[in-house]
Amino acid sequence: MSVPAHPQAMAPSRPGRTRTAPPQRPDQAPFGGRYRSHTLFGATGFVYLLLGLLALEAVWALGGGSASWSGFQASLASPFMIAIHAISFVSVIFVGVRFFRLFPKAQPPRLGPVRPPPAPVIIAALYAVWIGASVLFAAILAGGIL
Amino acid sequence: MHRFLLRIEPIVWLLFGQGVLIGTILLTSWVLVVGMLEPLGLVPADALAYERALRLGAHPIGRLVLLALIALPLWKGAHHLRHLAIEFGGHARDAVVAPVLYGLAALGSLAGLFAIIRL
Repeated sequence: MSVPAHPQAMAPSRPGRTRTAPPQRPDQAPFGGRYRSHTLFGATGFVYLLLGLLALEAVWALGGGSASWSGFQASLASPFMIAIHAISFVSVIFVGVRFFRLFPKAQPPRLGPVRPPPAPVIIAALYAVWIGASVLFAAILAGGIL
Repeated sequence: MHRFLLRIEPIVWLLFGQGVLIGTILLTSWVLVVGMLEPLGLVPADALAYERALRLGAHPIGRLVLLALIALPLWKGAHHLRHLAIEFGGHARDAVVAPVLYGLAALGSLAGLFAIIRL
């Protein structure tokens, strides 16, 4: 019977003799040049964490009854919350665009006998799913269907 | 703690990746409609009325979508913020930062599961 390998099973038993330079932060990091979008991508973690907690509050309010749900809806109508959601919307679009651009580069060269499709095909498929699912979900939420 | 974090890394990466992919797909219209259009009165008043919202949310597919909407962004946020903290402050505080962030995501996911069951 096999057991899971230790995560550091392949690590050397003691530090090697090779001398290496200590890691150094690049000059342009964290907000210069191409590091700016990398740092912003990481900072969207704040937005996603907040949106996950707001979704939790929404479902909790829905389970709490009509008055609780109305109270939650009223809390979203403040200019501050609308501004928060506007910023969040821009952040979500930024994450989608950046991630979908990176996605083809993260594919393996081949998976068994199958090669992944060309990058433009993957990107087009991702955008089609994103736009299609968003339109469908928005139509359901806005009362257009169901 | 470092060994534990290494052991859960594949699970965290799975949830993080799905948080970016599925989370982004779901959040686009959720933020637009629930967070902006409905408060501004740009969708019909009864679209997110209590009875309709509960009917949609309590449907099995609705429950699944709502759980994904809660849990996946939490894991995406926690993992991204952990690495942002490493980039700004190094690995020294990771033994504290990572458990706090992943703990928040885990607790939020469990609370979400309970909230979904409660519908």
